[in-house]
Amino acid sequence: MKRRHLEVGRYHGLGTWTVLCFAFLYLPIGILIIYSFNASSLAMTWTGFSLDWYAKVLRNDSIQFAAVNSLVIATITTLFATAIATAAALALVRGGRFTGHTASLGLVTLPLVVPEIVTAVAVLIFFANLNLNLGIGNVIIAHTTFCIPFAFMPIRARLVGMDTSLEQAARDLYSSEWQTFRHITAPLLMPGILSGAMLSFVISLDDFIITLMVAPAGATTLPVYIYSMIRQGITPEVNAISSVFFAASVLLVSIYWLLSRRVMSVPKGTGTSNASGGSRT
Amino acid sequence: MADGVEAREIVKTFGVGTEHEVTALNNVSLTIRSNEFFTLLGPSGCGKTTMLRLIAGFEMPTRGDILLFGEHMEDLPPNQRAVNTVFQHYALFPHMSVAENVAFGLRRLRKPKDETDRTVGHMLELVKLGDLAHRRPAQLSGGQQQRVALARALAPGPKVLLLDEPLSALDLKLRQAMRLELKQIQRETGITFIFVTHDQEEALSMSDRIAVMSNGEVQQVGTPHDIYEYPVNRFVAEFIGDANFIPATVAGFETDMLVCSTVAGRTLRVRGSGDHNTGDLVTLFLRPEKVLLHRQGETSSGRLAGEVVDVVYYGSETSYRIRLDDGTVILAEDRNMLDGSRRFAGGEQLFVEIGAETLRVLGQ
Repeated sequence: MKRRHLEVGRYHGLGTWTVLCFAFLYLPIGILIIYSFNASSLAMTWTGFSLDWYAKVLRNDSIQFAAVNSLVIATITTLFATAIATAAALALVRGGRFTGHTASLGLVTLPLVVPEIVTAVAVLIFFANLNLNLGIGNVIIAHTTFCIPFAFMPIRARLVGMDTSLEQAARDLYSSEWQTFRHITAPLLMPGILSGAMLSFVISLDDFIITLMVAPAGATTLPVYIYSMIRQGITPEVNAISSVFFAASVLLVSIYWLLSRRVMSVPKGTGTSNASGGSRT
Repeated sequence: MADGVEAREIVKTFGVGTEHEVTALNNVSLTIRSNEFFTLLGPSGCGKTTMLRLIAGFEMPTRGDILLFGEHMEDLPPNQRAVNTVFQHYALFPHMSVAENVAFGLRRLRKPKDETDRTVGHMLELVKLGDLAHRRPAQLSGGQQQRVALARALAPGPKVLLLDEPLSALDLKLRQAMRLELKQIQRETGITFIFVTHDQEEALSMSDRIAVMSNGEVQQVGTPHDIYEYPVNRFVAEFIGDANFIPATVAGFETDMLVCSTVAGRTLRVRGSGDHNTGDLVTLFLRPEKVLLHRQGETSSGRLAGEVVDVVYYGSETSYRIRLDDGTVILAEDRNMLDGSRRFAGGEQLFVEIGAETLRVLGQ
């Protein structure tokens, strides 16, 4: 008999198993979204379709304030974290050998494995000791520290996969180092930078523990606000705001995905976002 | 003629001070003339690519000096050298069109736009890619990518073009066609070409002169004819084509002939005496196609009796392994003639003629 390659589709029962796994992952979210359209104010009793809860969310100034906070924090954090991560990746991948190379690589990625609560407490004590109170700025600094490795991983992966002979060819064709970076390295690195930016945006947007610890009054973010709502009882309003939050995330990832497909193909090897390490939720 | 590129006593050591210290070039001196098609030939790891990278400026020599048209290169970075490179895997910029790739060097040199456009058009015509100017490199075949790489490197009008095994990724037919084309472009443009390859056929067919390298040293520099016919040592003789090596002792001298006796006790005469004394151990060298094969003969007339051991048919020629009656095995090659009169089968008895002018004494 002819030897066949492994074909996943040939295993019996695999389809059922797959459906079960996806149901486990997405059924709770699905139910949450369905009940956000429930007319009843009781969380788990369906009485009819309604958009009232969405209207209520839109009229709620506190929610809007928290949402704006979240977006401002995530945007500024993303800019800082991506810039620092890009610099780190360039130094560690294209910078040749230098003392402390391995140590630097370890230290840049360490926040990925440090338990979040440890980071949260450490940052809190740090700010308290410095007596630093920049309001929303405190949150941005804290978010930037843990977003750097998430931005760093895809950028580094992309850079490692990029053929150095392209940069050599540019140097050979009369480019200075800066011109080589501007015309060759940066455009080719862009998908990695976009991946890194998107990851850090999403991570910052849904961070809860560190924000809860660090955020002073007036710097409440959406996840922290939703948590405080739940403590007063689960209302369909929570479902509605969560659904909006979910839709925004999906939209963001989709836009990124479409963009990254347009920004040309990878020159050599792959460097897309599958290097993001563990999840952080 | 002015010297194009001069390398003076170049030493290049990688990983100085570590346990991985490797000397890639050991005291290499080369003079490459202006307008010359010069080839660096050798097996992988011989230092030929390192030499090219030193000329381009991607590496700096550990010791020694490189001059480009009389100018010292010292620590000049690649972008300040009037030298362009065709990379082994082309290194085309994937996010730019063919035309943008070709224009890249010209733009960095801040040439006026109309001049850039003209040059790009001219270059694409030179490599016969005029109608593909707006394609991306990924949409081109290997051969087309190779032409783009060539056009891109030629566009800024370098004084020297460096080619790092540019044909190695192409299939045989394309490689042969590109050889002719490269040679023609070199003649038309008058640019000095420095070509790196491990393929002796490529080197012989295109070069004005060849430097054969091994272990970080230059073994011999000469025209293809010199290198093939008069190799200075066994490495060169063996690397370029097939060869027979016959160990012998110098037995005496006749008028402009060296009389040698082989280990098996046979006497062979070699034209040209050279600097030898009676009793010296020498290696005689003989190209297989110089061995003449006969069906009849007398051993007294200088023909040697032997038996065909192996026959390999190549189409235009046939290669024979022949065991002489003294036990020596030699390689012979013969053109295949229309009438088949000189075709031998395995096991067949024959006579071999080795002319005095076909044998060479190799230096050690």
